[in-house]
Amino acid sequence: MVVDLRRCIGCHSCSVACKAENRVPLGVFRSWVKIIEKGTYPNITRHFLPSLCNQCDHPPCVINCPVQATWRQEDGIVIIDEHRCIGCKYCLASCPYNARYINPLLPIVQKCYFCYHRVYAGLEPACVEVCPAKARIFGDLNNPEEEVAKLLSKHPFQTLKPEMGTYPQVYYIAADADAMDPFAGRKEWM
Amino acid sequence: MDVNIIYNVEHEMPLGMAIALYFYLTGLSAGSFIISTFAYGFGMTKYKPLGKIGVVMATLLLVIAPIILLVDLEQPLRFWHLIIYLRITSPITWGTFLLSLYPMNCIVYGYFMFMGDMKKTKIFGLIGIPLALLVHGYTGFILALGKARVLWNTAIMPPIFLVSAMVSGLAMMILVVIIKDYFVQRNKERNPDLIYDLAKLLAASIVLDLILIGIDLSVLLTSHTEAYKAAVMLLAGEFALPFLGIEVLLGAVIPLILILSPFTKRWIPALALASVLVMIGILAMRYIMVVGGLSIPLS
Repeated sequence: MVVDLRRCIGCHSCSVACKAENRVPLGVFRSWVKIIEKGTYPNITRHFLPSLCNQCDHPPCVINCPVQATWRQEDGIVIIDEHRCIGCKYCLASCPYNARYINPLLPIVQKCYFCYHRVYAGLEPACVEVCPAKARIFGDLNNPEEEVAKLLSKHPFQTLKPEMGTYPQVYYIAADADAMDPFAGRKEWM
Repeated sequence: MDVNIIYNVEHEMPLGMAIALYFYLTGLSAGSFIISTFAYGFGMTKYKPLGKIGVVMATLLLVIAPIILLVDLEQPLRFWHLIIYLRITSPITWGTFLLSLYPMNCIVYGYFMFMGDMKKTKIFGLIGIPLALLVHGYTGFILALGKARVLWNTAIMPPIFLVSAMVSGLAMMILVVIIKDYFVQRNKERNPDLIYDLAKLLAASIVLDLILIGIDLSVLLTSHTEAYKAAVMLLAGEFALPFLGIEVLLGAVIPLILILSPFTKRWIPALALASVLVMIGILAMRYIMVVGGLSIPLS
Protein backbone atom coordinates (compact mmCIF):
# COMPACT_ATOMS: atom_id res chain seq x y z
CA MET A 1 0.00 0.00 0.00
CA VAL A 2 1.17 3.51 -0.79
CA VAL A 3 -0.05 6.47 1.27
CA ASP A 4 0.43 9.71 -0.66
CA LEU A 5 0.49 12.40 2.01
CA ARG A 6 0.44 15.20 -0.54
CA ARG A 7 -3.19 14.20 -1.02
CA CYS A 8 -4.24 13.35 2.58
CA ILE A 9 -6.68 15.88 4.08
CA GLY A 10 -6.88 14.30 7.54
CA CYS A 11 -10.61 13.56 7.39
CA HIS A 12 -10.45 10.21 9.27
CA SER A 13 -12.70 8.55 6.66
CA CYS A 14 -10.29 5.61 6.50
CA SER A 15 -10.49 5.10 10.30
CA VAL A 16 -14.29 5.15 10.20
CA ALA A 17 -14.56 2.85 7.16
CA CYS A 18 -12.18 0.38 8.81
CA LYS A 19 -14.20 0.38 12.02
CA ALA A 20 -17.41 -0.32 10.10
CA GLU A 21 -15.98 -2.90 7.70
CA ASN A 22 -14.14 -4.95 10.31
CA ARG A 23 -16.44 -4.34 13.30
CA VAL A 24 -13.59 -2.95 15.38
CA PRO A 25 -14.80 -2.40 18.98
CA LEU A 26 -14.68 0.88 20.88
CA GLY A 27 -11.31 1.94 22.20
CA VAL A 28 -9.13 0.10 19.66
CA PHE A 29 -8.17 0.85 16.05
CA ARG A 30 -6.80 -1.07 13.08
CA SER A 31 -6.17 2.13 11.17
CA TRP A 32 -5.99 5.66 12.47
CA VAL A 33 -4.64 9.04 11.38
CA LYS A 34 -2.00 10.60 13.59
CA ILE A 35 -2.15 14.41 13.35
CA ILE A 36 0.55 16.82 14.46
CA GLU A 37 0.83 20.58 14.31
CA LYS A 38 4.18 22.32 14.08
CA GLY A 39 5.54 25.82 14.01
CA THR A 40 4.32 29.03 15.63
CA TYR A 41 1.58 31.27 14.32
CA PRO A 42 1.47 32.43 11.51
CA ASN A 43 4.00 29.90 10.22
CA ILE A 44 2.19 26.76 11.19
CA THR A 45 1.35 23.52 9.39
CA ARG A 46 -0.55 20.37 10.12
CA HIS A 47 0.77 16.95 9.09
CA PHE A 48 -1.02 13.63 8.91
CA LEU A 49 0.18 10.06 9.21
CA PRO A 50 -2.40 7.39 8.41
CA SER A 51 -1.19 4.41 10.46
CA LEU A 52 -1.96 0.72 10.07
CA CYS A 53 -0.26 -2.68 10.14
CA ASN A 54 2.78 -2.50 7.86
CA GLN A 55 2.44 -6.16 6.73
CA CYS A 56 6.20 -6.48 7.25
CA ASP A 57 8.23 -8.83 5.09
CA HIS A 58 10.16 -9.82 8.23
CA PRO A 59 7.46 -9.52 10.90
CA PRO A 60 8.67 -9.77 14.53
CA CYS A 61 5.13 -10.69 15.64
CA VAL A 62 5.28 -13.86 13.52
CA ILE A 63 8.72 -14.82 14.80
CA ASN A 64 7.59 -14.42 18.41
CA CYS A 65 4.11 -15.98 18.29
CA PRO A 66 4.44 -19.22 20.30
CA VAL A 67 1.44 -21.01 18.72
CA GLN A 68 1.81 -20.17 14.99
CA ALA A 69 -1.42 -18.19 15.21
CA THR A 70 -0.05 -15.47 12.94
CA TRP A 71 1.92 -15.85 9.72
CA ARG A 72 2.88 -14.09 6.51
CA GLN A 73 1.07 -15.45 3.45
CA GLU A 74 2.57 -15.91 -0.02
CA ASP A 75 0.92 -12.67 -1.15
CA GLY A 76 2.62 -10.76 1.70
CA ILE A 77 -0.37 -10.20 3.98
CA VAL A 78 0.24 -11.06 7.64
CA ILE A 79 -2.87 -12.70 9.08
CA ILE A 80 -4.07 -14.06 12.42
CA ASP A 81 -5.90 -17.33 13.06
CA GLU A 82 -8.46 -16.17 15.61
CA HIS A 83 -9.19 -19.71 16.73
CA ARG A 84 -5.61 -20.50 17.49
CA CYS A 85 -4.53 -17.29 19.26
CA ILE A 86 -4.16 -17.82 23.02
CA GLY A 87 -3.86 -14.12 23.81
CA CYS A 88 -0.38 -14.17 25.32
CA LYS A 89 0.10 -10.62 23.96
CA TYR A 90 3.77 -11.21 23.10
CA CYS A 91 3.05 -10.06 19.52
CA LEU A 92 1.70 -6.77 20.89
CA ALA A 93 4.95 -6.31 22.77
CA SER A 94 7.02 -7.23 19.68
CA CYS A 95 5.29 -4.99 17.11
CA PRO A 96 7.26 -1.76 16.55
CA TYR A 97 4.22 -0.05 15.01
CA ASN A 98 1.59 -0.37 17.76
CA ALA A 99 -0.61 -2.06 15.13
CA ARG A 100 -2.03 -4.91 17.19
CA TYR A 101 -4.65 -4.80 19.90
CA ILE A 102 -6.71 -7.11 22.08
CA ASN A 103 -10.33 -7.23 20.97
CA PRO A 104 -12.04 -6.70 24.34
CA LEU A 105 -15.13 -8.63 23.22
CA LEU A 106 -13.58 -11.90 22.05
CA PRO A 107 -10.83 -11.60 23.58
CA ILE A 108 -8.01 -12.34 21.13
CA VAL A 109 -5.42 -10.33 19.20
CA GLN A 110 -6.48 -8.55 16.00
CA LYS A 111 -4.95 -6.15 13.52
CA CYS A 112 -5.30 -4.80 9.97
CA TYR A 113 -4.96 -7.46 7.25
CA PHE A 114 -5.50 -5.19 4.23
CA CYS A 115 -9.19 -6.31 4.20
CA TYR A 116 -8.15 -9.58 2.52
CA HIS A 117 -11.79 -10.72 2.43
CA ARG A 118 -12.46 -7.78 0.09
CA VAL A 119 -9.19 -8.06 -1.85
CA TYR A 120 -9.77 -11.77 -2.63
CA ALA A 121 -13.26 -10.84 -3.88
CA GLY A 122 -11.74 -8.33 -6.31
CA LEU A 123 -12.45 -5.22 -4.24
CA GLU A 124 -10.08 -2.71 -2.67
CA PRO A 125 -9.53 -2.47 1.10
CA ALA A 126 -12.26 -0.38 2.80
CA CYS A 127 -9.89 2.46 3.72
CA VAL A 128 -8.62 2.70 0.12
CA GLU A 129 -12.09 2.66 -1.40
CA VAL A 130 -13.46 5.30 0.95
CA CYS A 131 -10.58 7.81 0.81
CA PRO A 132 -12.09 10.94 -0.80
CA ALA A 133 -8.68 12.37 -1.75
CA LYS A 134 -7.36 9.06 -3.17
CA ALA A 135 -4.40 9.31 -0.80
CA ARG A 136 -4.28 5.54 -0.24
CA ILE A 137 -3.36 3.36 -3.18
CA PHE A 138 -3.43 -0.42 -2.92
CA GLY A 139 -1.83 -2.91 -5.29
CA ASP A 140 0.92 -5.40 -6.07
CA LEU A 141 4.38 -3.82 -6.02
CA ASN A 142 5.83 -6.68 -8.07
CA ASN A 143 3.63 -5.78 -11.04
CA PRO A 144 5.22 -2.76 -12.83
CA GLU A 145 1.88 -1.88 -14.44
CA GLU A 146 0.18 -1.23 -11.09
CA GLU A 147 -0.17 2.34 -9.82
CA VAL A 148 1.71 1.61 -6.56
CA ALA A 149 4.78 0.49 -8.52
CA LYS A 150 4.61 3.54 -10.80
CA LEU A 151 4.26 5.92 -7.83
CA LEU A 152 7.19 4.44 -5.95
CA SER A 153 9.42 4.45 -9.01
CA LYS A 154 8.64 8.12 -9.63
CA HIS A 155 8.65 9.69 -6.14
CA PRO A 156 10.90 9.63 -3.08
CA PHE A 157 9.22 7.60 -0.35
CA GLN A 158 9.65 6.70 3.32
CA THR A 159 8.80 3.72 5.50
CA LEU A 160 8.29 3.66 9.27
CA LYS A 161 11.25 2.56 11.41
CA PRO A 162 13.34 0.98 8.63
CA GLU A 163 16.08 0.46 11.24
CA MET A 164 14.01 -2.34 12.81
CA GLY A 165 14.76 -4.57 9.82
CA THR A 166 11.09 -5.44 9.39
CA TYR A 167 10.82 -4.37 5.71
CA PRO A 168 7.44 -2.65 6.13
CA GLN A 169 5.11 -2.79 3.11
CA VAL A 170 3.25 0.47 3.72
CA TYR A 171 5.09 3.23 1.85
CA TYR A 172 4.61 6.91 2.53
CA ILE A 173 5.15 9.68 -0.03
CA ALA A 174 5.96 13.09 1.50
CA ALA A 175 5.59 11.97 5.12
CA ASP A 176 6.75 14.43 7.77
CA ALA A 177 9.69 13.33 9.91
CA ASP A 178 8.09 14.73 13.07
CA ALA A 179 4.85 12.88 12.37
CA MET A 180 6.83 9.65 11.96
CA ASP A 181 8.84 10.23 15.16
CA PRO A 182 7.03 8.73 18.18
CA PHE A 183 8.78 11.18 20.53
CA ALA A 184 8.17 14.44 18.66
CA GLY A 185 5.61 16.57 20.44
CA ARG A 186 5.80 14.63 23.70
CA LYS A 187 7.07 17.20 26.17
CA GLU A 188 7.74 14.61 28.87
CA TRP A 189 10.15 12.76 26.54
CA MET A 190 12.13 15.76 25.30
CA MET B 1 10.38 24.02 16.52
CA ASP B 2 7.15 23.66 18.41
CA VAL B 3 5.47 20.32 17.66
CA ASN B 4 2.12 19.30 19.13
CA ILE B 5 0.35 15.98 18.73
CA ILE B 6 -3.30 16.71 17.92
CA TYR B 7 -4.52 13.15 17.54
CA ASN B 8 -2.92 9.74 17.96
CA VAL B 9 -3.90 6.24 19.03
CA GLU B 10 -2.03 4.31 21.67
CA HIS B 11 -3.21 0.84 22.46
CA GLU B 12 -3.36 -0.42 26.00
CA MET B 13 -0.14 -1.76 27.53
CA PRO B 14 -0.18 -5.49 26.74
CA LEU B 15 1.78 -6.86 29.70
CA GLY B 16 1.90 -5.63 33.27
CA MET B 17 2.41 -6.46 36.92
CA ALA B 18 1.35 -10.12 36.47
CA ILE B 19 4.24 -10.78 34.08
CA ALA B 20 6.65 -8.85 36.32
CA LEU B 21 5.53 -11.03 39.25
CA TYR B 22 5.99 -14.16 37.13
CA PHE B 23 9.57 -13.16 36.30
CA TYR B 24 10.15 -12.48 39.99
CA LEU B 25 8.88 -15.89 41.11
CA THR B 26 10.85 -17.87 38.50
CA GLY B 27 13.91 -15.88 39.57
CA LEU B 28 13.38 -16.81 43.22
CA SER B 29 12.84 -20.43 42.24
CA ALA B 30 15.95 -20.67 40.10
CA GLY B 31 18.01 -18.94 42.79
CA SER B 32 16.85 -21.23 45.59
CA PHE B 33 17.33 -24.35 43.46
CA ILE B 34 20.94 -23.43 42.73
CA ILE B 35 21.60 -22.74 46.41
CA SER B 36 20.08 -26.12 47.21
CA THR B 37 22.57 -27.84 44.91
CA PHE B 38 25.58 -26.26 46.68
CA ALA B 39 25.47 -29.10 49.20
CA TYR B 40 23.80 -31.94 47.33
CA GLY B 41 25.29 -31.37 43.88
CA PHE B 42 28.73 -29.95 44.63
CA GLY B 43 29.29 -31.37 48.11
CA MET B 44 29.79 -28.07 49.98
CA THR B 45 28.71 -29.52 53.31
CA LYS B 46 28.34 -26.19 55.14
CA TYR B 47 25.29 -25.43 52.96
CA LYS B 48 23.66 -28.78 53.78
CA PRO B 49 20.83 -27.26 55.90
CA LEU B 50 19.70 -25.35 52.79
CA GLY B 51 19.32 -28.38 50.53
CA LYS B 52 15.85 -29.46 51.55
CA ILE B 53 14.38 -25.98 52.10
CA GLY B 54 15.84 -24.88 48.77
CA VAL B 55 14.23 -27.62 46.73
CA VAL B 56 10.85 -27.24 48.48
CA MET B 57 10.83 -23.48 47.84
CA ALA B 58 11.97 -23.95 44.23
CA THR B 59 9.18 -26.43 43.49
CA LEU B 60 6.45 -24.44 45.25
CA LEU B 61 7.38 -21.19 43.49
CA LEU B 62 7.53 -22.92 40.12
CA VAL B 63 4.04 -24.30 40.69
CA ILE B 64 2.63 -20.83 41.41
CA ALA B 65 4.53 -18.98 38.64
CA PRO B 66 2.95 -20.67 35.55
CA ILE B 67 -0.52 -20.23 37.09
CA ILE B 68 0.07 -16.46 36.93
CA LEU B 69 1.03 -16.87 33.26
CA LEU B 70 -2.13 -18.85 32.53
CA VAL B 71 -4.34 -16.27 34.25
CA ASP B 72 -2.68 -13.53 32.21
CA LEU B 73 -3.60 -15.24 28.91
CA GLU B 74 -6.66 -13.82 27.20
CA GLN B 75 -7.73 -17.40 26.36
CA PRO B 76 -6.44 -19.54 29.26
CA LEU B 77 -8.36 -22.63 28.10
CA ARG B 78 -6.33 -22.69 24.88
CA PHE B 79 -3.05 -23.18 26.77
CA TRP B 80 -2.61 -26.61 25.11
CA HIS B 81 -2.02 -24.83 21.79
CA LEU B 82 1.43 -24.05 23.21
CA ILE B 83 2.34 -27.73 23.05
CA ILE B 84 0.55 -28.67 19.81
CA TYR B 85 1.34 -25.66 17.59
CA LEU B 86 4.72 -24.64 18.94
CA ARG B 87 6.95 -22.24 17.01
CA ILE B 88 10.58 -22.83 17.84
CA THR B 89 11.72 -19.24 17.19
CA SER B 90 9.53 -17.92 20.01
CA PRO B 91 11.07 -17.81 23.50
CA ILE B 92 7.62 -18.58 24.93
CA THR B 93 7.85 -21.99 23.22
CA TRP B 94 11.20 -22.60 24.89
CA GLY B 95 9.49 -21.65 28.14
CA THR B 96 6.68 -24.13 27.59
CA PHE B 97 9.13 -27.01 27.74
CA LEU B 98 11.42 -25.55 30.39
CA LEU B 99 8.47 -24.81 32.68
CA SER B 100 7.38 -28.45 32.33
CA LEU B 101 10.79 -30.12 32.67
CA TYR B 102 12.20 -27.99 35.47
CA PRO B 103 9.49 -28.59 38.13
CA MET B 104 9.46 -32.32 37.26
CA ASN B 105 13.21 -32.45 37.80
CA CYS B 106 12.78 -30.49 41.06
CA ILE B 107 10.29 -33.05 42.33
CA VAL B 108 12.50 -36.04 41.41
CA TYR B 109 15.56 -34.34 42.93
CA GLY B 110 13.60 -33.51 46.09
CA TYR B 111 12.20 -37.06 46.29
CA PHE B 112 15.66 -38.65 46.25
CA MET B 113 16.92 -36.06 48.72
CA PHE B 114 14.20 -36.83 51.25
CA MET B 115 14.68 -40.59 50.63
CA GLY B 116 18.38 -40.13 51.41
CA ASP B 117 19.69 -41.50 48.10
CA MET B 118 22.69 -39.18 47.80
CA LYS B 119 24.00 -40.51 44.49
CA LYS B 120 20.76 -39.98 42.59
CA THR B 121 20.20 -36.64 44.36
CA LYS B 122 23.55 -35.48 43.01
CA ILE B 123 22.72 -36.59 39.46
CA PHE B 124 19.35 -34.82 39.39
CA GLY B 125 20.82 -31.79 41.14
CA LEU B 126 23.44 -31.44 38.40
CA ILE B 127 20.79 -31.93 35.67
CA GLY B 128 18.73 -29.28 37.39
CA ILE B 129 21.39 -26.55 37.34
CA PRO B 130 21.30 -25.92 33.55
CA LEU B 131 17.50 -26.25 33.69
CA ALA B 132 17.27 -23.66 36.47
CA LEU B 133 19.58 -21.32 34.56
CA LEU B 134 17.58 -21.80 31.35
CA VAL B 135 14.19 -21.42 33.00
CA HIS B 136 15.19 -18.04 34.23
CA GLY B 137 17.46 -17.15 31.34
CA TYR B 138 14.61 -17.64 28.89
CA THR B 139 12.57 -14.95 30.69
CA GLY B 140 15.45 -12.60 29.88
CA PHE B 141 15.16 -13.72 26.25
CA ILE B 142 11.41 -12.98 26.25
CA LEU B 143 12.31 -9.36 26.89
CA ALA B 144 15.48 -9.28 24.78
CA LEU B 145 13.71 -10.63 21.67
CA GLY B 146 10.82 -8.18 21.97
CA LYS B 147 12.70 -5.97 19.60
CA ALA B 148 10.16 -3.15 19.42
CA ARG B 149 10.99 -2.12 23.00
CA VAL B 150 14.33 -0.42 23.30
CA LEU B 151 14.72 -1.04 27.03
CA TRP B 152 14.36 -4.81 26.48
CA ASN B 153 16.24 -5.35 23.25
CA THR B 154 19.77 -5.66 24.64
CA ALA B 155 22.08 -8.67 24.77
CA ILE B 156 22.68 -8.04 28.46
CA MET B 157 19.06 -8.75 29.43
CA PRO B 158 19.45 -12.57 29.98
CA PRO B 159 22.60 -12.18 32.15
CA ILE B 160 20.95 -9.38 34.17
CA PHE B 161 17.99 -11.66 34.80
CA LEU B 162 20.23 -14.56 35.85
CA VAL B 163 22.26 -12.46 38.27
CA SER B 164 19.19 -10.79 39.76
CA ALA B 165 17.66 -14.27 40.18
CA MET B 166 20.71 -15.26 42.22
CA VAL B 167 20.45 -12.04 44.26
CA SER B 168 16.78 -12.51 45.13
CA GLY B 169 17.21 -16.27 45.69
CA LEU B 170 20.04 -15.70 48.18
CA ALA B 171 18.07 -13.00 49.99
CA MET B 172 15.08 -15.32 50.29
CA MET B 173 17.29 -18.15 51.60
CA ILE B 174 18.75 -15.86 54.29
CA LEU B 175 15.23 -14.95 55.39
CA VAL B 176 14.16 -18.61 55.37
CA VAL B 177 17.15 -19.64 57.50
CA ILE B 178 16.54 -16.77 59.94
CA ILE B 179 12.86 -17.68 60.26
CA LYS B 180 13.75 -21.34 60.74
CA ASP B 181 16.48 -20.74 63.33
CA TYR B 182 14.89 -17.94 65.34
CA PHE B 183 11.14 -18.57 65.08
CA VAL B 184 10.20 -22.11 64.03
CA GLN B 185 12.90 -24.25 65.67
CA ARG B 186 13.89 -21.93 68.51
CA ASN B 187 15.06 -24.73 70.80
CA LYS B 188 17.44 -26.32 68.31
CA GLU B 189 21.04 -25.34 67.79
CA ARG B 190 21.44 -22.14 65.76
CA ASN B 191 23.82 -21.75 62.88
CA PRO B 192 24.70 -18.05 62.40
CA ASP B 193 27.83 -18.88 60.38
CA LEU B 194 25.64 -20.17 57.57
CA ILE B 195 23.79 -16.84 57.49
CA TYR B 196 27.07 -14.91 57.42
CA ASP B 197 28.33 -17.05 54.51
CA LEU B 198 25.11 -16.51 52.57
CA ALA B 199 25.32 -12.77 53.26
CA LYS B 200 28.83 -12.71 51.76
CA LEU B 201 27.56 -14.45 48.64
CA LEU B 202 24.63 -12.02 48.52
CA ALA B 203 27.01 -9.04 48.67
CA ALA B 204 29.05 -10.45 45.78
CA SER B 205 25.93 -11.02 43.68
CA ILE B 206 24.63 -7.51 44.39
CA VAL B 207 27.94 -6.04 43.24
CA LEU B 208 27.77 -8.10 40.03
CA ASP B 209 24.16 -7.03 39.50
CA LEU B 210 25.09 -3.35 39.94
CA ILE B 211 27.95 -3.74 37.45
CA LEU B 212 25.59 -5.24 34.85
CA ILE B 213 23.02 -2.47 35.42
CA GLY B 214 25.81 0.09 35.00
CA ILE B 215 26.92 -1.52 31.71
CA ASP B 216 23.33 -1.57 30.44
CA LEU B 217 22.78 2.09 31.34
CA SER B 218 26.05 3.34 29.88
CA VAL B 219 25.36 1.64 26.55
CA LEU B 220 21.78 2.92 26.49
CA LEU B 221 22.99 6.46 27.20
CA THR B 222 25.44 6.47 24.30
CA SER B 223 23.35 4.48 21.79
CA HIS B 224 20.69 5.79 19.37
CA THR B 225 18.05 8.40 20.27
CA GLU B 226 15.37 6.02 21.48
CA ALA B 227 17.84 4.17 23.73
CA TYR B 228 19.08 7.46 25.16
CA LYS B 229 15.49 8.44 25.94
CA ALA B 230 14.90 5.11 27.69
CA ALA B 231 17.99 5.71 29.85
CA VAL B 232 16.82 9.24 30.69
CA MET B 233 13.41 7.78 31.62
CA LEU B 234 15.18 5.61 34.21
CA LEU B 235 17.50 8.32 35.50
CA ALA B 236 15.35 11.44 35.48
CA GLY B 237 11.93 10.61 34.07
CA GLU B 238 8.84 8.75 35.13
CA PHE B 239 10.72 5.70 36.46
CA ALA B 240 13.51 7.58 38.27
CA LEU B 241 11.98 7.00 41.72
CA PRO B 242 11.41 3.25 41.34
CA PHE B 243 14.75 2.79 39.58
CA LEU B 244 17.16 5.00 41.53
CA GLY B 245 15.19 5.07 44.78
CA ILE B 246 13.91 1.52 45.17
CA GLU B 247 15.95 -0.71 42.84
CA VAL B 248 19.38 0.86 43.27
CA LEU B 249 19.35 2.65 46.65
CA LEU B 250 16.96 0.54 48.77
CA GLY B 251 17.47 -2.71 46.89
CA ALA B 252 21.23 -2.71 46.39
CA VAL B 253 23.25 0.08 48.04
CA ILE B 254 21.69 0.03 51.54
CA PRO B 255 21.74 -3.81 51.77
CA LEU B 256 25.37 -3.77 50.61
CA ILE B 257 26.25 -1.30 53.41
CA LEU B 258 24.34 -3.39 55.97
CA ILE B 259 26.13 -6.60 54.91
CA LEU B 260 29.63 -5.15 54.63
CA SER B 261 29.79 -2.60 57.44
CA PRO B 262 31.66 -4.00 60.49
CA PHE B 263 28.92 -2.75 62.86
CA THR B 264 26.06 -4.70 61.29
CA LYS B 265 27.58 -7.66 59.44
CA ARG B 266 27.30 -9.97 62.47
CA TRP B 267 23.91 -8.60 63.58
CA ILE B 268 21.07 -10.85 62.43
CA PRO B 269 18.25 -8.22 62.37
CA ALA B 270 20.36 -6.04 60.05
CA LEU B 271 20.93 -8.98 57.70
CA ALA B 272 17.21 -9.77 57.78
CA LEU B 273 16.43 -6.15 56.90
CA ALA B 274 19.02 -6.23 54.09
CA SER B 275 17.40 -9.38 52.66
CA VAL B 276 13.91 -7.89 52.77
CA LEU B 277 15.16 -4.74 51.01
CA VAL B 278 16.93 -6.80 48.35
CA MET B 279 13.75 -8.78 47.65
CA ILE B 280 11.75 -5.55 47.30
CA GLY B 281 14.47 -4.10 45.06
CA ILE B 282 14.43 -7.06 42.67
CA LEU B 283 10.63 -6.97 42.46
CA ALA B 284 10.95 -3.28 41.57
CA MET B 285 13.54 -4.21 38.92
CA ARG B 286 11.12 -6.67 37.29
CA TYR B 287 8.37 -4.06 37.37
CA ILE B 288 10.57 -1.34 35.86
CA MET B 289 11.78 -3.65 33.09
CA VAL B 290 8.29 -4.84 32.06
CA VAL B 291 6.15 -1.74 32.59
CA GLY B 292 8.91 0.81 31.94
CA GLY B 293 9.89 -0.93 28.71
CA LEU B 294 6.28 -0.91 27.52
CA SER B 295 5.65 2.71 28.43
CA ILE B 296 8.05 4.03 25.77
CA PRO B 297 5.80 5.32 22.94
CA LEU B 298 5.83 3.57 19.54
CA SER B 299 3.55 5.66 17.35
